Amino acid sequence: MATTIIETGGLTRSYGDICALKPLDLQVPEGEWLSVMGHSGSGKSTLMNLVGGLDRPSAGSLMVGGEDLLALSEDGLARFRREFVGIIFQQHHLVPYLTAVENVMLAQYFHSVPDEAEARSALERVGLGHRLKNRPGELSGGEQQRVCIARAIINSPKLLLGDEPTGNLDHKSTVMIMELLKELRAEERFTVVMVTHNQEVAAWGDRTIYLDDGVLVREERTNS
Amino acid sequence: MLFRILKNSFLKRPKAVLLIFLSITMGAAVATAFLGISGEISHKMALELRSYGANILLEPSAVEGGFLREEDLPKIKTVFWKYNITGFTPYLFSIAEFSAGGKKERGVVSGTWFAKQLEVPGEDSSIQGIKGIAPWWEVQGRWPEDAAEAIIGAALAKRLNVVAGGDVTTIVRGRSQQFRIVGVVTTGGYEEEQLFAPLVTVQSLLQLPGKVSRVLVSALTVPMDDFGKKDPATMSKDEYEKWYCTAYVTSVAKNVEEVMAGSRAKPIWQIASAEGALLKKLNSVMLLLTVLALGASATAVSTSLMASMAERSPEIALMKAVGADRFQISAIFVGETLLISMAGGVVGYLLGDQLAEVISRTVFSSTIVSPLWLFPTAIISALSVAIAGSVVPLRRALLIEPVRVLKG
Amino acid sequence: MVAVKLIPQLISWFGIVLVLLRGFPGLRSVVTTTSISGFAIGVSGAFFMFRSLPAAIPFGAVKSALGVSFLLLWGISVAAIYRSTGRRVTISSGARLVNTSIGAGTGAVLAGIITGLVCACRISGTDGNFPKLLFLVLIAGILTVIALAVEKRLPASLTVSPSGMLTAVVALLLFCSSSSLRLDLFSPLSMKVMKGVHDFVHQFMESVLIPDHLFVRSVVWGYIGLLFGKEVGFWGGMIIWFTPAILIALAINFQRLPSVAHIRQGARRRKLLADAIRNKRMLLITPLFSLAIFAAAAYQSSFPSVEYWDPKPEPVTASPSGEIFIPKKGEINLEDGKLHKYLFKQEGKEARFFVLLSPAGQLTVDLDACAICKPDGYGQAEGSVICYYCKTLIPLDTVGKPGGCNPVPIQFTEKADGVAIDGMTLLNAWSSTVRATARVKEGGK
Repeated sequence: MATTIIETGGLTRSYGDICALKPLDLQVPEGEWLSVMGHSGSGKSTLMNLVGGLDRPSAGSLMVGGEDLLALSEDGLARFRREFVGIIFQQHHLVPYLTAVENVMLAQYFHSVPDEAEARSALERVGLGHRLKNRPGELSGGEQQRVCIARAIINSPKLLLGDEPTGNLDHKSTVMIMELLKELRAEERFTVVMVTHNQEVAAWGDRTIYLDDGVLVREERTNS
Repeated sequence: MLFRILKNSFLKRPKAVLLIFLSITMGAAVATAFLGISGEISHKMALELRSYGANILLEPSAVEGGFLREEDLPKIKTVFWKYNITGFTPYLFSIAEFSAGGKKERGVVSGTWFAKQLEVPGEDSSIQGIKGIAPWWEVQGRWPEDAAEAIIGAALAKRLNVVAGGDVTTIVRGRSQQFRIVGVVTTGGYEEEQLFAPLVTVQSLLQLPGKVSRVLVSALTVPMDDFGKKDPATMSKDEYEKWYCTAYVTSVAKNVEEVMAGSRAKPIWQIASAEGALLKKLNSVMLLLTVLALGASATAVSTSLMASMAERSPEIALMKAVGADRFQISAIFVGETLLISMAGGVVGYLLGDQLAEVISRTVFSSTIVSPLWLFPTAIISALSVAIAGSVVPLRRALLIEPVRVLKG
Repeated sequence: MVAVKLIPQLISWFGIVLVLLRGFPGLRSVVTTTSISGFAIGVSGAFFMFRSLPAAIPFGAVKSALGVSFLLLWGISVAAIYRSTGRRVTISSGARLVNTSIGAGTGAVLAGIITGLVCACRISGTDGNFPKLLFLVLIAGILTVIALAVEKRLPASLTVSPSGMLTAVVALLLFCSSSSLRLDLFSPLSMKVMKGVHDFVHQFMESVLIPDHLFVRSVVWGYIGLLFGKEVGFWGGMIIWFTPAILIALAINFQRLPSVAHIRQGARRRKLLADAIRNKRMLLITPLFSLAIFAAAAYQSSFPSVEYWDPKPEPVTASPSGEIFIPKKGEINLEDGKLHKYLFKQEGKEARFFVLLSPAGQLTVDLDACAICKPDGYGQAEGSVICYYCKTLIPLDTVGKPGGCNPVPIQFTEKADGVAIDGMTLLNAWSSTVRATARVKEGGK
């Protein structure tokens, strides 16, 4: 069996009295595509934020890619995010005043140094070679999400996190995005953790876990 | 990349940028103007005090209508503090009737030395008179060189309607004397109502040969301190010795008084220091206003940055999520404010310079030359306003939690 | 008191140790021990030199040591910029030696010796006493220990290249010597530049242009005239002063980034580049900081911080006939319009006096005391001297005349090459002037 990239032990996150994530033990082997399903408020986004180093757990242990996220400082978490993780959000968050290629370069800039040629080829890879100089406002939802994907993979992350990346897209765009992700994963060999409430999207993964009210209720392996 | 981000962010949000730019410009302009004026005032004041050489006034003691003797004057150069006395000038005054070109006016005729070669046995010869003691007098024309030449105060000249080159007849108690006016003098003081003529001529006009009504002495002195203010009469012998051999204006005055028969010496530093105190107060008001103006513009910067931070929090959250650390976030936002404030500082300096000129022309009716140090001051005040104004917003920005802002 | 006077020197020492420790990583103990022992050697060396030799020799020696270190910096900087242009220069055994413990030790010892000498020159001059110097070495030792502790706390990424280290050390040495008028290098440098330019232009014009100067029109003469301006020395000096540090900074800036084209993965390639760039920026910090120190040194040299010109009294002796002779020229130029103080000691009696050229062009010799105040002495301000006791300003042209708080004039004979004063007259004048208020202390204040 491949090495484990995510390993949690009794991982808990509570906001005041509300317990968003009850103690959770989870292991994700390297290279797996894991789908996380649940209703809204089931704790699936919380799990993703914790794994992506965007949030800190209230209790438990959390090892991602050999790093103990609880031990990292604020800036250490930032370094972890830029070097290890690529994140795609539901609302394709892009900096509104920067062009598509500049939005990708922003991730390069925070990671190390910007390289425009590389950013261009990344956008070409996601099929946006003709929209390089457009600002987010001039792009369709699907196109914006593809910019986000280009940005997420530009620093060759080991782990790609998706928080309902297709939640705002129509069926056709959803399929295109998922195909693209599958293609890229085949090339780059990153691990995927994708949060969704769409059964169809979840089916693209190797394994699906179901969360309800912060508890892992079910787990199933998909054979696609 | 940083510049690319800044450029695009400026171009995309011109209003917010303009607001910050304006508040910084205002602050820098006000700081430049006020500091420029107050700096210039203290500069002028320092010059004036230095040139306002006469700091001891010798008058006949007590008796009304008494006079000092001209022959005592050279003794001033022989006193203990002789080397500290840089100059002195005798005056003989009288009310007189002036007539010129059919116009008649009352005024003061004043006999004095302009630049008299003074020979004192055992001492080097020196030049004494108004020219040395009152270097700030502005004479249009030249100084009198002949016994029948005179210079006239600007106000009196206006009343009599004479200019340099004209003649003025002076009548005192029936005796008259004609003077050729060779210069019009502007002093900014009561001297402008007087006619200044050589002492000898005025003495013969008044029939007071060898008499002088007052002497102004200018001396290099030590600033007054608590010890200097003590009454010499109450001092111990040691203290008195120290007091006497310290060049306080009072001890120099006492020194001079001793050699001029029938005189009383009054230090007139009170006037100068009162003036100084006033200007000092004015200066501190200016400084206070500057600080207030800078504070106000820092608050304005802070407020508008706060607003723009609130507006941009998704962007900041996004940058954090992509992996920007605190340093990178600060670089972007501080860099932005610093760039704006640099521009604001330069523009503010140019504006403030003009403002200072307008203010000093209208309020103080004098022109100022803006000193070189104002430019760095303007830039530094702009930068400090920007930094002071961005501390709180930046802290707020660094505290943004991406999870909360980006939640769908 | 000693420590206050030496603040710039001690700060420099702290900086030097810090830079050396950073520059020779892994050789901390060697650097620490050698530098502090170098300092002690320097201080004691200066002590013995001042004991046994006229003051001019140790000052000259320290000054030439400083000059040599500056020249060395120039050489290294030129070599560095030459290498950075991509030309391979065979690394001589000397350059390889730098990173061994012998190289580190030698460098630290030399830096320590020079700093020690400068410090000792600053406090002791002619009459340094041993406890004072011991105290100085002690303070330096404490500072070394503090530097050792501070260096451990500095971020590890802040690295120093050998050339950057040399720049910083030389800059700090020049800074700590610039506050001492006799050790300062910048002012003499600008003077030399001015003189050099003048001589060159003069020679050039004479030998080349004058015989056939028809083509030299008045406009050209105008430009040639610029070379004779007093600004030339200053700007020329500035250029020579700052160039080495700038060259070394440029050399670091021109350093090639590592070749990364063979790395296929973009992220790794960029990471390598970013690390190289950050490393380069870190290396640049030291030379750029040194530029600021060089500027501070030049500033200190151009605007000496002494409010009043108050030289330390030079000891003088009388000839067997009882005559004190002070030459006009030589180490001290009597006719430069400055106050020159001297101290005459004979048979347990002493007298402090000064020689001054008045604005009228007359030399005067006066006691460093007036008839009325305690003999605290005088300092020279612009256009006047000030009596330290009663703070009275005395116009320069009246110095030499008796009375008031003016310094008491002394009979002297002016000769073609100096002034001669009778020793007994001087001592008697001093003792009768000073009388009861015997607070005869050197330097006054």
